[in-house]
Amino acid sequence: MFDINHGNLDDSPDVGQEIVRRIHDRFGDFPARFQKADLVRLDVPQKDIIPVLSWLRTETPFVQLTHLTAVDWLEDGQFELMYLVTAPDLMVSLHLCVRLDRAKAEAESVFNLWLQAETYEQEINEMFGIHFPGSPRQGVPFILEGWRDMPPMRRDFDTVAYCDRTHPVRPGREHQDSRVYVGRKFGEKGYLK
Amino acid sequence: MSVFDYTTQPGFDLISETPNAGTTVDPKEVQLWFGPQHPGITGNMSVQLWLEGDTIKRGITHVGYLHRGFEKLMERRKFIQSFPIVCRMCVAEPDTTEYLLASSLEELSGLDQAVPEKGQWLRTLVMEMSRLQVTLMVMGGQVGTMGMGTAPNWTYTLRDFLLDSFEELTGGRVYHMYITYGGVRRDLTPGFAQRLEATLDRIEERLPYLDDLILNSAVFQQRTQGVSVVPAEWADELGITGPVLRAMGVARDTRRDYPYLKYPELDFKVCTATGSDIYARTQVRRAEIAESIHIIRQILQMMPQEGPYCAKLPNMLTWTIPAGSTYVRAESSRGEMGFVMVTDGSDTIRRVHLRGPSYTNAVTILERMLPGMNIADLSATMVSLQTCPPEIER
Amino acid sequence: MKKFDPDRPWDLTTLPTTMAPQGSRPHAPVEDQCFLGAEADIKQPPKLQEAVATIKNWFRASSLNVLAFGTGCGAIELRPLSTSRFDMSRFGIPGAPTPRQSNVFIISGYLSVKTLTRVIRCYEQMPDPKWVVALGSCTINGGMYWDSYNTIKVLDLYLPVDVYVSGCMPRPEALIAGFQYLMDDVKKGKANGWHHYLENLEWYRENQKQVITDWDLPNYNW
Repeated sequence: MFDINHGNLDDSPDVGQEIVRRIHDRFGDFPARFQKADLVRLDVPQKDIIPVLSWLRTETPFVQLTHLTAVDWLEDGQFELMYLVTAPDLMVSLHLCVRLDRAKAEAESVFNLWLQAETYEQEINEMFGIHFPGSPRQGVPFILEGWRDMPPMRRDFDTVAYCDRTHPVRPGREHQDSRVYVGRKFGEKGYLK
Repeated sequence: MSVFDYTTQPGFDLISETPNAGTTVDPKEVQLWFGPQHPGITGNMSVQLWLEGDTIKRGITHVGYLHRGFEKLMERRKFIQSFPIVCRMCVAEPDTTEYLLASSLEELSGLDQAVPEKGQWLRTLVMEMSRLQVTLMVMGGQVGTMGMGTAPNWTYTLRDFLLDSFEELTGGRVYHMYITYGGVRRDLTPGFAQRLEATLDRIEERLPYLDDLILNSAVFQQRTQGVSVVPAEWADELGITGPVLRAMGVARDTRRDYPYLKYPELDFKVCTATGSDIYARTQVRRAEIAESIHIIRQILQMMPQEGPYCAKLPNMLTWTIPAGSTYVRAESSRGEMGFVMVTDGSDTIRRVHLRGPSYTNAVTILERMLPGMNIADLSATMVSLQTCPPEIER
Repeated sequence: MKKFDPDRPWDLTTLPTTMAPQGSRPHAPVEDQCFLGAEADIKQPPKLQEAVATIKNWFRASSLNVLAFGTGCGAIELRPLSTSRFDMSRFGIPGAPTPRQSNVFIISGYLSVKTLTRVIRCYEQMPDPKWVVALGSCTINGGMYWDSYNTIKVLDLYLPVDVYVSGCMPRPEALIAGFQYLMDDVKKGKANGWHHYLENLEWYRENQKQVITDWDLPNYNW
């Protein structure tokens, strides 16, 4: 993939440094963290993520979407979407992280860039309640069936309370929650949270 | 000779009155559920098919029958309590996920430099043994879907001898929980290397006979050559890895491309084939069995006999890991498996996500391969893509 | 007769000793009353009845057909069990591809709510008499999934279980031992879970509807 301004990406000694420099030149000064030889993390604002991803997909060797997942930062009131884009021939991955507003959980779909994003977006839609307008399988149940509660992977979904409410246990069974047990045994230290 | 005319029989007019009368349904189209209760399905999943004759017009994969919410459960538990959980994410091959959990949290906590030499060798050993036993199982399952019973009986039995080695080493046949933070749980037992060597000899001795039954069998060739071809342009589009990719002739392997553990010191080649059909994928697996045996022999020779196998660990009940995020990957028998690990400075995992090859194989690739496929090839196709339902839905 | 106790659903000894009047239950023909060891309203000497029941139960115990439905992770040990190392066939236990041709249902581990719907449907399609073997700790009381939002905790609230095989996961030898217990119980006429299910169908239905929100199963169709 030859770039007229920068030369061939394959020839550069450190592909991670080089691709981050090009993204900075082109899109803006996003904070980058060089974690390993094959992994760079970039925190991208929401308005820039689709241009960056489509540029990576069409004009650089970063052609594979290895995964797409979400993290719920309940205390910040934000969701974080994590796109891992890989250059399989250069053996470098970019971890692009985007923060979304938790109250208005909506993000642009990357289905047009990668076909397999449809399944990832369907799962995130079901498990976190983040909506991807334009993605083909939004709202179609993927894993759960007949689910009436809030999306289960959100942090404020309490799975123990849900189990107590819905799934009866055998009489006489005691919950041995590790958190309670450690708290009882080690005092406050066990309640690190 | 007169042909029996069933249209004159009483009650025939009722047959044409389908429940969906009035809607626009193609009268020649039949809807069929393949699974979850079906002897030909892999694991517990289902494919909803629309057929015309025995040709599939389209289909949808349905998963979620095995969803246990592991990622949610791991957010509630201490770090050490996650080991019994991760090995159940992929039932057939637990060691890869164990390694991924251990290495991702070691990386975030800075413990990764502390893993002793012997611990790394032992991790490499169990991961390669695990790849070998799954590949054997899939080879047998592949011909089993075509109605041949002898090869599965042989390969499952050979796999079982490997499971005996696992039991001796780790204490468990299927779920090992052997890899832990900082190394592994136990050292080799005396004489383990000789017994494992004998098992490998036994497998190797049986391989030419398996070749005659599988790859050289005319029935198998007729059923698989040119069937279920994955187009090469999907490789980047859909993120295909593992034997499915290597059957296209693309030599990519996580063990070589993103070196981890002791793989850089080992001598192995990346097995490829051409054709990208079921036969090519089986050829790749057959070559990988021989290659895995070769790797395990090298490990047994090169492994140091003495030395610690696990680093000194902090108190697991109060251990906290600083905030951060990472992605680690390892080569499973199906392709690249990876963990996205996010921690927030507390004593639990903030978010973990398993990236498995089955996710793409069973949903995106399979659904796009279904139109035009013969229904008799569906089961063999699913096994050749090595779909593993518990890994898709976790 | 002990009264059926909803708090102890696993106790299958709470069967009625006398049968309901003929005709009220179309599914229970006279020979099944012999099988249950009940006082049947037929003109046969009791010793002959007993002998017929013994022979029938012996036949039944020798022809267990396992339904091919791997509902959970225990299914991975069923394949070594059915191939040459452990060889289930030497006990006369083959696999059966469809529910209509099988009479043993191995619940191989935890059941998610989505699978439970399919399991109930398969179970009800199986012909009487039929038996359920449940594998693993997770079918007994949730096991390691005790706080998982998507799995049921106690299987015998939803289906009658004849044999539990504990372990996570049970070894093939444990499963063989479980089958031998099941065969002994069938020979003695004690494995009556399927009958218990019919007797207390409303109670089972109520439990099932509690977890299955999208209820689309038909009423019991024997």
